[in-house]
Amino acid sequence: MHHHSPIERVLRGIALLIVVLFFMFPIFWILLMSLQTNETILRSPPSIVFEPTLSNYAAIIAGRLDSNVASMGIDFMSNLMNSVILSVGSVALALVLGVPAAYAFARHKFRGSEDIAFTLLSFRFAPPLLVLLPLTLYFQQIGLADTYFGLIWVYQLICLPLILWIVRGYFEDISPDVEHAYRIAGHSWFSTFRRISLPLAAPGIAAAALLAFIFAWNNFIFALVLASADKQPVTVGALAFVTASGIQYGQIAAAVVLSITPTLALALYAQRYLVEGLSLGAVKG
Amino acid sequence: MYEKENDLINAYMRGQMSRRSLLRGLASMGVTAGTAAVLVNGAATRAMAADFDWKAHSGKSIKLLLNKHPYTDAMLANLDNFKELTGMEVTYDIFPEDVYFDKVTASLSSQSSEYDAFMTGAYMTWTYGPAGWIVDHNEWINDPSKTNPNYNWSDMLEGVRKSCAWNGRPGGALGSDDAKQWCIPWGYEQNNLAYNSEMLEKAGVGVPSNIDQLVEIAAKLQAAHEGVYGIGVRGSRSWATIHPGFLSGYANFGQKDLNVADDGKLSAAMNTEVSKDYHAKWVKMIQDSGAADWSTHTWYQVGTDLGAGKSAMIYDADILGYFMNGGDNAMAGKLAYAPFSANPEAAAPTPNIWIWSLAMSKFSKDLDATWYFMQWASGPEHGLFGATQMDFVNPVRQSVWDDAGFRKRLSDSYPGYVEMHDVSAPGAKIHFTPQPLFFDLTTEWAATLQKMVAKEVPVDEGLDQLAESVNAQLKDAGLG
Repeated sequence: MHHHSPIERVLRGIALLIVVLFFMFPIFWILLMSLQTNETILRSPPSIVFEPTLSNYAAIIAGRLDSNVASMGIDFMSNLMNSVILSVGSVALALVLGVPAAYAFARHKFRGSEDIAFTLLSFRFAPPLLVLLPLTLYFQQIGLADTYFGLIWVYQLICLPLILWIVRGYFEDISPDVEHAYRIAGHSWFSTFRRISLPLAAPGIAAAALLAFIFAWNNFIFALVLASADKQPVTVGALAFVTASGIQYGQIAAAVVLSITPTLALALYAQRYLVEGLSLGAVKG
Repeated sequence: MYEKENDLINAYMRGQMSRRSLLRGLASMGVTAGTAAVLVNGAATRAMAADFDWKAHSGKSIKLLLNKHPYTDAMLANLDNFKELTGMEVTYDIFPEDVYFDKVTASLSSQSSEYDAFMTGAYMTWTYGPAGWIVDHNEWINDPSKTNPNYNWSDMLEGVRKSCAWNGRPGGALGSDDAKQWCIPWGYEQNNLAYNSEMLEKAGVGVPSNIDQLVEIAAKLQAAHEGVYGIGVRGSRSWATIHPGFLSGYANFGQKDLNVADDGKLSAAMNTEVSKDYHAKWVKMIQDSGAADWSTHTWYQVGTDLGAGKSAMIYDADILGYFMNGGDNAMAGKLAYAPFSANPEAAAPTPNIWIWSLAMSKFSKDLDATWYFMQWASGPEHGLFGATQMDFVNPVRQSVWDDAGFRKRLSDSYPGYVEMHDVSAPGAKIHFTPQPLFFDLTTEWAATLQKMVAKEVPVDEGLDQLAESVNAQLKDAGLG
């Protein structure tokens, strides 16, 4: 066991504090901005002494934006809801499709398996606009344009390859002997997958799902091109505070705080899975 | 609802009572000034219906793609009157300006029939028109069976109207006889001076009236005020840096972006001696009295700094200065406006302009019905309503500029604005040469300005290099 001198402990604490402050400062500053009016934010030089106000949050939740010249409607809360629907929906679908596929690629070597896996990964290589413009035409013909289902389908371009390739690595790391033992005891293939493989790969699946969720949440271009204004996510909605008659910094900050809250909460909750999951596949043993 | 009020308004429309009696009468019924304006406009709309079959497309529905903008707000505030007049339904999608043109381009290039009409800038139609994504609106404007007799197309300011028309040939003059009307002007911006009158007064300087004075006074203002820079102009690496104040002053010296030869070939025109002299002054002005982070400045920073009292003047869009004189801006009420001729020998300013316009999509399923909306939204009645009751400024119609109520409203809160417009309007138009490489070449021009300001390249040399590069690109594209 190591013993540290008090000085070393203090220095270590200070160093850690500096690192935390460095990384947390932008979030802290945005939080402060969200509690100020535009006028106090723009004063020069900036100051952290101010009278806090919740007016930015109130404006966003009530859906009214008071700009320099007029008051106009902002639908940020429905943007937030759209982001939740699209991200949760697409990650759920990607898990249903991707986890069994990842298991198949890891356990069963069949003809063309590598080619199929690589094709799925290659979706990530294409510039989104290259895919989206032809897709718009097809979607209009088959009636999927401007629907949540259509969007969730397109979001699989982000989520499916991510989940498939990360989870495949975890399945490959689980020793097949454990599964064989269970099969010999008379259990079916599906039962083995459900009772043995899935629980063992759970941290990896959780990590992949969380990453896919973050990627989906941050996506911007898919909904912008394929859907109308009422189905836009927060990434598009937050830009509504940048208007010709001025930038509403306070409301942008409040919108940022509201939009990072779900991912931040999820990441904090799943933190240990995330770290454990990501490092699990790192070393082959 | 509003039956008694409507009787009163109809009496006013028939000329049976004065406007003052009408407003007094409405106020006694508890009608606010804003609601009264919408009701009066409704009556004006009904009067319009007398001469034209506005109900021809009753029951049909159209969909618009709109940018989040005060012009959009003004239209939405009056939209019920259009629905009542025509019996048509109008739905719309509004997108933030930052992503708006991405949405328009995606929608048009995929030949989507979702939107029947959309907002655009005239520059964008130089791409959309030749690509076959939008229509020549002359077909509707010139058809009396489709356009109401009160539309009065010639009421649109000539420079603005012509700037939205192009024959599609690279280098072809805007508004030529064979030009296609790619879009209908809706609201527009001239580029002139907006300044903080308190700061000018304290520094003991007058309003600059040419480029030499602008350079000198900007420096004096900066020296006189701690923490304030003298002049706000855009500086980001974008076409938007070239088109406002910079090009307006440049055109005032009779300078052009491109030469058009008799055989239609284009070549760079920005490395003349006069141009080099103007560039040198512009660069010195930014080095001496521009924002420290000028090279990142867009519309937003230029406006915000003027509104927050961080800059003393801007040479940019007049309505940007207009917006900054209200709301919760620290400098609200302290701004004033002046026309600006960079060339001391020029008779009048020659502002380059940005025009928010409306255009019909070629892929619309019912262009005739869509035109009903277009002619209403760009018509004189809505123009006057928007300009007097909302922030539909600057209007594109002479009749609105002639309206005494509108002029008074502007003059009361925006000192010098009306005079600035009157002096500048005759020379206000798009001063660029229309051609498909517009965005690429102007972006490179902005990048060259950045290098000059950063002293990476001398002005003479930088302009020669730019001209060489522009000529090479024009040749590659088969234009030079």
